[in-house]
Amino acid sequence: MPNSHAREITPILHAQGLGKQVDSGERRLDILSGLDLQVFPAESVAILGSSGAGKSTLLGLLAGLDTPTTGELSLFGESLPGLDEDGRAQLRAGRVGFVFQNFQLLPTLTALENVLLPLELVPGNDHLARGRDWLTRVGLGERLDHLPKQLSGGEQQRVAVARAFVTEPELVFADEPTGNLDRGTGKKVIDLLFDLNREAGTTLVLVTHDHNLARRCQRCLHLDAGRLSVLDRDEVEA
Amino acid sequence: MKRGAGLWLLSLKGLRRDLRASDVRALFVALALAVAASTMIGFFLDRLDRALTRQAGQLLGGDIKLEQSQPFDAELRRELEDAGLVLGDQVDMVSMVSRDQAFQPASLKVVDDAYPLYGEVHVELGKQGAERISQVAHGPAPGEAWIAPRLAQLLDVEIGDTLQVGQATLSVGGLIVREPDQGAGFASFNPRLMMHIDDLDATGLIRPGSRVEFELLAKGPPEAVASVDDLLGRLERNGVEVSDVREDRPTLGSALERAEKYLSLAGLAAVLLAGVAVAMATRRYVDRHLDTAALLRCFGATQRQLTRLFALQLLWLALSASIIGALLGLAGQAGLLALLTRFLPLELPPPGVLPLLLGIFTALAVLVGFAGPTLLRLKRVSALKVLRRELDPLPASAWLVVGVASLVFGALLWLYSGDLWLSLGLLLGGLVALVVLWALGWALLGGVLRLAGRWSAGQGGGSQALRLGARQLARRRQASLGQLLAFAVTFAAMAIITLVRGDLLTTWQAQLPADTPNYFAINIQPGEREGFIDIVDDAADSRTALYPIVRGRVTAINGQPPRQVVPEESRSDNALRRELNLTWSETVPEGNRVVAGQWFDADVGRPVNASEGQPVPISIEDGLAERFGVGLGDTLSFTIGSAEITGEITSLRDLDWDSFRPNFYIVFPPSVLERFGHSYITAFHLDDGNRDMLRELIATYPSVSLLNVEAILGRVRELLSQVTRAVEFVLAFVLLAGVSVLYAALTASHSMRTHESGLLRVFGAGDRLISRVQGVEFALLGFTSGLMGALLAELAAAGVYVGWLDLVPRIHWLMWLVLPLGGALAIGVIGHALSRGVRRQTPMASLGLLGEA
Repeated sequence: MPNSHAREITPILHAQGLGKQVDSGERRLDILSGLDLQVFPAESVAILGSSGAGKSTLLGLLAGLDTPTTGELSLFGESLPGLDEDGRAQLRAGRVGFVFQNFQLLPTLTALENVLLPLELVPGNDHLARGRDWLTRVGLGERLDHLPKQLSGGEQQRVAVARAFVTEPELVFADEPTGNLDRGTGKKVIDLLFDLNREAGTTLVLVTHDHNLARRCQRCLHLDAGRLSVLDRDEVEA
Repeated sequence: MKRGAGLWLLSLKGLRRDLRASDVRALFVALALAVAASTMIGFFLDRLDRALTRQAGQLLGGDIKLEQSQPFDAELRRELEDAGLVLGDQVDMVSMVSRDQAFQPASLKVVDDAYPLYGEVHVELGKQGAERISQVAHGPAPGEAWIAPRLAQLLDVEIGDTLQVGQATLSVGGLIVREPDQGAGFASFNPRLMMHIDDLDATGLIRPGSRVEFELLAKGPPEAVASVDDLLGRLERNGVEVSDVREDRPTLGSALERAEKYLSLAGLAAVLLAGVAVAMATRRYVDRHLDTAALLRCFGATQRQLTRLFALQLLWLALSASIIGALLGLAGQAGLLALLTRFLPLELPPPGVLPLLLGIFTALAVLVGFAGPTLLRLKRVSALKVLRRELDPLPASAWLVVGVASLVFGALLWLYSGDLWLSLGLLLGGLVALVVLWALGWALLGGVLRLAGRWSAGQGGGSQALRLGARQLARRRQASLGQLLAFAVTFAAMAIITLVRGDLLTTWQAQLPADTPNYFAINIQPGEREGFIDIVDDAADSRTALYPIVRGRVTAINGQPPRQVVPEESRSDNALRRELNLTWSETVPEGNRVVAGQWFDADVGRPVNASEGQPVPISIEDGLAERFGVGLGDTLSFTIGSAEITGEITSLRDLDWDSFRPNFYIVFPPSVLERFGHSYITAFHLDDGNRDMLRELIATYPSVSLLNVEAILGRVRELLSQVTRAVEFVLAFVLLAGVSVLYAALTASHSMRTHESGLLRVFGAGDRLISRVQGVEFALLGFTSGLMGALLAELAAAGVYVGWLDLVPRIHWLMWLVLPLGGALAIGVIGHALSRGVRRQTPMASLGLLGEA
């Protein structure tokens, strides 16, 4: 079962000594190095960092979209470096949701179809009902058949949020979810994201440069020069 | 977790959604057109072919004909019958037929109750009025004879009278108007008498030594005919003459043959065009689906699932396009046949299922070949692309795309033409041409870029647009080159099909001018020559020369028995089996062209004594020379009556067998054949108003046979005009396929142009300028590809003319003007109109500043 309300001791996400290097011309560039992280079920974690700090790279590694150069990483208790690309994809199917900065809605699909997309990869015969239900929960019950271009930015991101939760995943990654929205709209989307997260008891990993947003997570980590450090409340307020 | 059904459903849903996208519509249209063209032409040629085979069976008298000089034994009959064949017996001979004191040689055809195996006899049976012609599926009853009207005239008999055949007396039961199994040509000069096989013994004509031909005819389904192949081979080795509809089909008129080839060519051109359209549309399709693929990867789809998803999605697309295309093709072939059957006396078999399967196969092959390598890119997409947009998988190498597409197209060429070497040749030629065009295109674009640099001086709106447009085109060299090649191939294919059509029509029209002979007169005796010509020349509009005919058989080639010397496929050639009509002439016969060697010198007019063994010079038709495998300097020996004469080939002639003139395989110089018995042949054109002359001719020269070819001529004329219409119908199809390429290509570059015009606008360009820049860019693209297309078309057309259609190649100057200018205009206007939507977008939208691009 994807949903577990009971807090378990084993972390859902566990990284140790994680590093990522890229070749840039003749030099090797360390984007991340020696990074440790544990995320527990139903927890919400914010990863803060300035532009270019490697936030997106880290998110890609944690979600198994990319492979680390060094270190250990396990998701749902499975070691990611031990899996090939397909193995990692299968591990994600139905258990991981995503919210992206640029929404990543497919332009030729209606709102409902966009939401149904991740469901297509998991068994079940109530997909349509679930898709409608989730769109209603994000307040778009009347706009099921609208194409993304017929929706405002905030509405598009709400569709994306519904899509992230529709499979009832154990873990949701959010990458700068308000990056493309104005402050007011961004706040509404964030409220929604946290409400849903709380209701569903999902684990949330949020990457952002926005301290206000980070503050709403239970734990805040700061990514700087390729390393993670824990920020306490005061530092976030600052 | 993986569910097969889910993917199927997802792929179907995906396709439904995708039909909203222009690239998918372009793919759909291109595939449907490819299938429509190939099934239409496939259905048509298949039905025509089967109808012609059936007609051939009718002309031959059965699917198989065995001939020998003695009766066939019972065991052979049993073997053939066991194979599922129906048999009929026939005996042919020439014999004197008499009534009272009138005697006349007749060509006897003795038939049994099974006659005719195919078709019907047109015969006048009663005395009540001359117009009562019946079509019956049987021969004369025992005791009866059916005779040709000419024989009735010569013997002065009517229906109901009796006549003497050998020792038997038969009553005339009917006048034969047409026999179903009557091949064309003048094989038999004696009038026909048909009688029943039961009366044969009573005639007493079958004696040892008499020249009698026993024939065993067999009819049956193709499987049954195929099952006796070994037996036929054995019989042939034992000296039995075997004719088989599958091999001895009468050749079509060259017009219809060329039309068939033209249609195949046009079908392939449509398939190629559709392929190019598919390739162009696929690029955009893949670009557009990279995001979907990456998202699905992100949501946990495996590579296998992605491959299956997109493969299935395209499979649905191909299948639905195939069905639409096949329906179009079915309607199209019905149209084509409706155009053709009015004059082709064919029973048309229903459309077969093979062309349909072939059409679907073609769609799938085109999809795999022209889209496959590009599609693989979808599978390789990284899930990380959702976070980092720049992470697109590398596009498939252009050479891989071209290579795979060429392989598949080559295989289709092979499948359609059945000629491996032709396909390989065309394929290699095409690839070389592509490489040359690639280099040429690269150089041209470089030239455009340099030129654009020099234009920078002018500041008027026009020159600014010219500069910007040229630069945009030339800077994206790789992408532009792809479009350039696609357009060039498109223009070339359209041009070839148009050119070939024009040249075919011109050739056909020149072939049968208004005064083409409509009557042939044969068997004119030397003494009747002058008088006959006088009567004809008074009334006829035109007349060919009078050619003497001497009948002779080829008995040796270079001193060897002919069958041992000629290439294997010519061993059963009719020219070796029958006597040939030989003639002599001082000058090259009308309509003939010496293609090798020299025509006879004036001084060969001296008497030649052939018995001295000195070969005389002869001229041979080049087609026969090729079949015999002989050339200048080789010798042919002929038996004429009891004499033998040897000729040395000193010239090869090219002639047109469809010309409605007397044509000869072998021409001797004068003073060689005169000593043999000969008669004359001529052909003339007579207007409807002058038909009275015919009666005078028949009355004055009763032994001369007049052949009215008006009906055949009329049919050929109509055939040409109908085939012309069919050709035009198909041409329209190819042009349509060409337009689908334009559509697909312009769709493919849509996103790029959106981005560019957005940027230009951000930098302050107005509507007018952007519109002009785009117009210039499209027009330049059209002009350059038109130029390259003209080059490609000229080369390819020359190859097709020489290698396939047997036409003389020439340079098409007009095309060099029309293609570049027309290309500039067409692509300029269409492209400009299609990208109007792009110009209307705000830069915010076109640059993707608002979220999803």
